Amino acid sequence: MTVPTNAMGPAIHFERVGLQLGGNCILSNVDFSVEPGTIHCIIGPNGGGKSSLVRCLLGQMPHTGTIRIGWGTGNVIGYVPQSLDFDRTLPMTVKDFMAMICQNRPAFCGLGRKYGPIVEHALKMVGMEGKRQRPFGALSGGERQRVLLAQGLIPKPDLLVLDEPGTGLDKAGASIMRDLLADLKERGVTILMIHHDLAEVRDMADSVTCINRNLVFSGEPEVELTPEKILNVFSPAGGTC
Amino acid sequence: MHAFYDLLRIPLIEMGRNGVLPEFFQYAFVINALLCSLLLGPVLGGVGTMVVTKRLAFFSQAVGQAALTGVALGILLGEPISAPYVSLFGFCILFGLLMNYTRNRTNMSTDTVIGVFLSVSLAMGACILLYVTGKVNMHVLDNILFGSVLTVNDTDMNVLLIISGLCLLIGIPLYNRMLLASFNPSLARVRGVNATLYDYIFILMITVLTVASLKIVGAVLVEALFIIPAAAARNVSRSMKGFFLYSMIIATASCILGIILPMQFEIPVPSGGAIILVASCFFALSVLIRASSTAFRGASA
Ligand SMILES: Nc1ncnc2c1ncn2[C@@H]1O[C@H](COP(=O)(O)OP(=O)(O)O)[C@@H](O)[C@H]1O
Ligand SMILES: [Mg+2]
Repeated sequence: MTVPTNAMGPAIHFERVGLQLGGNCILSNVDFSVEPGTIHCIIGPNGGGKSSLVRCLLGQMPHTGTIRIGWGTGNVIGYVPQSLDFDRTLPMTVKDFMAMICQNRPAFCGLGRKYGPIVEHALKMVGMEGKRQRPFGALSGGERQRVLLAQGLIPKPDLLVLDEPGTGLDKAGASIMRDLLADLKERGVTILMIHHDLAEVRDMADSVTCINRNLVFSGEPEVELTPEKILNVFSPAGGTC
Repeated sequence: MHAFYDLLRIPLIEMGRNGVLPEFFQYAFVINALLCSLLLGPVLGGVGTMVVTKRLAFFSQAVGQAALTGVALGILLGEPISAPYVSLFGFCILFGLLMNYTRNRTNMSTDTVIGVFLSVSLAMGACILLYVTGKVNMHVLDNILFGSVLTVNDTDMNVLLIISGLCLLIGIPLYNRMLLASFNPSLARVRGVNATLYDYIFILMITVLTVASLKIVGAVLVEALFIIPAAAARNVSRSMKGFFLYSMIIATASCILGIILPMQFEIPVPSGGAIILVASCFFALSVLIRASSTAFRGASA
């Protein structure tokens, strides 16, 4: 594979990662690696511990085992969360939201000179440039997902972590996201993404890992995503601790 | 500081005497109260937008009630009744921090935690108050509960000036971070914002502002000035800019009108009550505007 620039995202090694929360075993013995500059998808049933694993990676969970990030040329993490907890009727436009997230200058002062063009560009990348004055709370689920994605692009990430970014996206949205991620990958960004649409995963992932408390499988999508394994993925019983 | 305040006060008093300004301007306490309003209004209005956004309206209410207990405690400990600031700051800060700590550590829903703390503080306040009523004139307590512009002196103005200054200094650069912490703590942390720490800072801000505005608005009604202007502003704005700006304007206008109107028409009401009633009128107006304007119709389904 050719990499046009010399920027390179990190490699990530999960080593015997385990997690207990409130006396429940959420993850145990998760062992796999993410290659630098690839799109790596995590799949698994609801409650399988995918979001928890990502939060372990972000250093926000009291996990056992080790997660090593072998940084490449930079160490910026972009994160696209699964959801936001806020009051939908808040008088906050898409631009205000981006200003709140990206800059230090208070959001009520508007976007600063430095971040104005950057935010504008990011919104354009996700096809939301025409909706920057819309109230953020009134956006549809897919539109909000796009804005969240735009937010993950500022500042330019070396590692992009996405938690079910496909939720609520329509065909156009999904294809924008696919192109965007492919483009980021070209530039050397490592992408770790939780995804539930197996067809999409097969389409764009370089490797795929299935988590259901334990590691179910990890490898190339063409090899791993066989019909019988997929049937296994969504069977309810997870492994033991 | 006194000389500085006089620099502002004396010309205004002069103008009151000459009839350039309404008659009540010749009283120093009126000018003190108005100066406080000019400081308090924008700060409370601005912080109020955060209180509403972070859904902490009920929280600030609890801190306001704690101030009541703080006053009682101050009298009990022999502080001057018109300025029991040590007990007030001490008790309210302890109360706010403890409440936030409990919320963080138990994962209980916020309203439950606040409900518990509110009751504890009221119960304490009730007990101590009953105990100290023998020592003081109850009328003095009214001033603290519902505000009285008559009692605003230079000490109160100094406290207010320092607290407002600190809140502006801390609140403006950290505004985005404090908001983001409540949107998604995980995302906040990825972006280098320690959500827990910023929550504590914010709680501290609400608490000290509550205490500082006690003399003007009163312990019982302080929290209303965080909530009502921001709620009214929110009804009539579409962006953060409008939200923040209107909230500041409404809060300031409410303070000033709440002080001037009773004086102009010689109605003997506590300033806190008058201020909140004026703010409520703004709120009612904002509801009318929102309901009748086509610009907002269906904007928030
Ligand atoms: N803070 C927490 N305390 C206790 N249990 C949790 C906590 N967070 C998540 N869980 C549990 O961990 C399991 C995995 O959750 P999650 O990682 O969100 O699953 P998903 O794979 O659907 O993203 C769920 O059963 C959930 O109930
Ligand atoms: Mg999840």
